[in-house]
Amino acid sequence: MNAPPAPLSGRRAHRRRWSDAVFLTLLAVLGGSYVALIVLMLAADACYTTPQHLREALAKSEIQFAIRLTVVCCSISAILSLWVATPLGYLLSRHHFRGRWLIDTLVDIPIVLPPLVLGLSLLILFHIRIGSWRLEQWLRDIAGFPVTFHVPAVILAQFSVACAFAVRTMRVTFDEIDPRAEAVARTLGCSQGQAFLLVALPQAWRGMMTAGIVAWARSLGEFGPILVFAGATRNRTEVLSTTVFLELSVGDLQAAVAVSLLMVLLAVLVLVVLRLLGMESRR
Amino acid sequence: MNRAVFVMVGSLVALVALVLLLPSDSARRPIAQSRQATQGQSSEDEALTIYCAAANRAVMEAIRTDYEAEFGVALKVQYGASQTLLSNLEIGGTADLYLPADDSYLAAARHKGLVDEVLPVAEMQAVLAVPKEAAVDLPGLDALLASSARIVQANPEAAAVGKLTRDVLTAQGKWEALAARTQSFKGTVHEVANDVQIGAADVGIVFDAVLHTIPQLKAVPLPELAEAKARIAVGVAASTAQPQRALHFARYLSAPEKGQRRYEEYGYRPLPGDPWADTPELTLYAGAMLRPAIEQTLREFEEREGVRVVRKYNGCGILVAQMRAGEVPDAYFACDSEFMQQVRDLFPTPADVSQNELVILVPKGNPKRIASLRDLTRPGLRVGIGHEKQCAMGWLTQRTLRESGVQADVMNNVIVQSPTGDMLVNQMQTGSLDAAVAYLSNAAGAAQFLDAVRIQGIPCSIATQPYAVARSARYPQLAERLLARLRSAASEKQFTQLGFAWIAHSAGKALAVDVER
Repeated sequence: MNAPPAPLSGRRAHRRRWSDAVFLTLLAVLGGSYVALIVLMLAADACYTTPQHLREALAKSEIQFAIRLTVVCCSISAILSLWVATPLGYLLSRHHFRGRWLIDTLVDIPIVLPPLVLGLSLLILFHIRIGSWRLEQWLRDIAGFPVTFHVPAVILAQFSVACAFAVRTMRVTFDEIDPRAEAVARTLGCSQGQAFLLVALPQAWRGMMTAGIVAWARSLGEFGPILVFAGATRNRTEVLSTTVFLELSVGDLQAAVAVSLLMVLLAVLVLVVLRLLGMESRR
Repeated sequence: MNRAVFVMVGSLVALVALVLLLPSDSARRPIAQSRQATQGQSSEDEALTIYCAAANRAVMEAIRTDYEAEFGVALKVQYGASQTLLSNLEIGGTADLYLPADDSYLAAARHKGLVDEVLPVAEMQAVLAVPKEAAVDLPGLDALLASSARIVQANPEAAAVGKLTRDVLTAQGKWEALAARTQSFKGTVHEVANDVQIGAADVGIVFDAVLHTIPQLKAVPLPELAEAKARIAVGVAASTAQPQRALHFARYLSAPEKGQRRYEEYGYRPLPGDPWADTPELTLYAGAMLRPAIEQTLREFEEREGVRVVRKYNGCGILVAQMRAGEVPDAYFACDSEFMQQVRDLFPTPADVSQNELVILVPKGNPKRIASLRDLTRPGLRVGIGHEKQCAMGWLTQRTLRESGVQADVMNNVIVQSPTGDMLVNQMQTGSLDAAVAYLSNAAGAAQFLDAVRIQGIPCSIATQPYAVARSARYPQLAERLLARLRSAASEKQFTQLGFAWIAHSAGKALAVDVER
C-alpha cells in the first residue's frame, strides 16, 4: 500500500500548479494546432463556397446519385472489411504459425502502396490472360456479373484499401485483450470457436466499432483505385470523391468545394451516428 | 445472443439490404436509351463507351445529351486523366472511343496499336491566365519576366501545355529564363488555373479553352506563344466491337454543325471537319484496272464507316475528260501519275499507292514464241493495246513502244485499241488476238489461259497509281480515311495478289497524316 503524499509547502505546490499549467498548455498548443488546422481548412472551404452552391450541388441528379452510391458502397465495403478483418486480426494476434510475418507484411501492402497502383493492380488482375481465359471476361460472359467499370469495382477498390486498415485495428484490439480469459474458457470445456465467439468477440466490441468506422471513412476518401478500376462514369460509378476530382479537372472550384463539404457533412453524420451507437451499446 | 454475434447477424442483414439498395444500371439509363430499349433492341449492347479526358467533361456532357436525344444511342462516358485512360485502354480494352486532352496521347495510343481512325475535333491556344480584375500590360514575354508576377506553369513532362510552352520557347531561346522565373510547376493545366483562381499565383500558362469555365480568370495572349497550339481529336479504339457506331459518333463529334459547334461554345477553336450526314456519300473515280484490287477494301470501308462510296471505274483518260468537264469526285485513284498530273489543280496532294507493270499477254503456252516487244512486229500477228487517249495503259504502251524503238512496226500489227485492259483480256480469251500489251494485274485473273511475258529493260513500262482527295471534296477527312484503308496491310495483300507492286506507306503513317492536317 502506498503512503499518502506528504503535504507540500505553499511554494512547492504553487510551482507544481505552474508546471501542470505549462504542461497542459503545451499539450493544448501542440494538439490544438492540428485541430485548429482542420477547423481552419473547413472554415476556408465554407468561405469559398456559398449555401447557393451547396443547394445547386444537392439539386443535381448526378450528385444525388453519387451520394447514394457513396453511402451504400462505403457501408458494404466497411461490413465486408469487418467480416474479413475480425477473423484475420484474431488469427494474427493469437496464433503463431509459419509464415505469419509474411501475412502480416502482405496485409500492410495496401496501406503503403500508392492508391493508383492498387487500382492498376486490380485492373490487371481482372484482365490478365491465362491461356485464353480472363477473369473479367468469365465474370461478364459466363457469370453475368461484370466487375470492371461497374459498381462492384467501386466496392472492391474501396474494400481492398479499407480492409487493410480494419485488419490492423482488429489485430491491435485482440493484442490488447488478455488471452487468459479465453484460456480459462477452454479449460472449462469451450472449443476454440466458442472461446472466440463467447469470450474474445464480446471484449473486442469497441475495436470492431472502431475498425468499422475506420473502414467506412477510408472507403469514403478512396479515390485513386476507383478512378482506375471503376472509372468515373456519370450515373454509373461516380462517387463523391471522383466527383470532386472531375469538378477540379474542369476548373470548377466552387462545385468541387461544395461537394467536398458535402462529404465532410456526410462523414461527420455517419461517424456521430456510429459513435452514438457505440456509446449506447456500452451502457 | 451475445452482442458480437448479434452484430455479425445484423451486419449480414444490413449487407443484403445494402446490396438491394445498389443502383442498377438499367434504373439509370437515359431516357433516349430506354426509348430504344422499348423498341425491342438491346440498348446495353449498343451503348458506346467513351474514354474521355476529364478536362472535356463539360462539353462532352452537352454533346452526349444532344447525341442521345437525336439518335437514341446511349453513351457511357468515362472521365479521367488522359494517361490513366490510356493505361485502362491498354489493359482493359473495353472502350469504343478515346478522347484525350490532346492528340499526343492519341499518337502514343496509335503507336501501341490501341487506336485506329483519328478524327480531329478542336484546337486550344496557350495563353496567360490572370485574374479578371487584374490590370495587365504584357506586350511580350520579356515584360512578364521583368515584372514581379508569381508565375505557375504546367509540368512539361506531365501536361501538354507545359510541353508545348517549353518546345516553342526553347526554339526562341527563351525557355530557360521563363523556367527560372516560374514559381511552381503543376501536374495539369487545371491545377495551374486553380492556383491563379485561388490567388496562389498571379499568372499561369494555360489553354484558352480552360478559361471558358472559369469566369474569375481572363486570357492574355502572348506573342511568343502564338505557335503553342494543342489539338483535340477522337480515336476509334482498335478493340471496339462496333466500329460503325463508334465512327458514327466520331463523325458527329467532328462535324462543324454538331460536336464542333458545342466545342466552340465552350471556348475551343474548331478544326476543319466534314459536314454532318448520317450516311455520307463519297464519290470515287478510279482507273478500271484498279477495280479488282480495291473493291473488297471499299466494301469493308463502307461497312466499317457506315458510309456509301459511289465508285466510277473507267479508263483514266475518260475520267480526266469528265473531271475537266466539271464532274469532280471527292477522291480520284489514277492508273498512272500522268493522269493525276493532268488534274493536279483539282487534286493537290496525291499519294502513291501501287505500281503496275506492262506485260505482253499471250495464250497459255505462248504458241507464237513471243519473248519481247520486237517479236510483236512479226508480220501477220494480231496485237491489241490500250487506247492512248482513253486509258493510262494505252498512253504508257505508246511511250514504252516509242522507248523501245518499235512503235511504228508494232502499230502496223495493232488491230484493236481498247479503253481497258480487261477488254483486251476478254479478246485474248475469245482468240481474236495473238498478243496484247496490258498490265500484269490484268493477267492475274486469267492465269489459266494466259501467260504474261515481261518487258525487259524499259523502266517507263511501269505505271504508278496515286490516290488524291479533291480540293473541293465534300468529305475530305472521310476521303483521307479511305486512303488510310487503301494503304492498310489487308489492302496491300489484295494488290500484291493481283500483281501490283506495293509502294504505299503503312496505314499507321497514313492515319498520322490525318492528325497533322
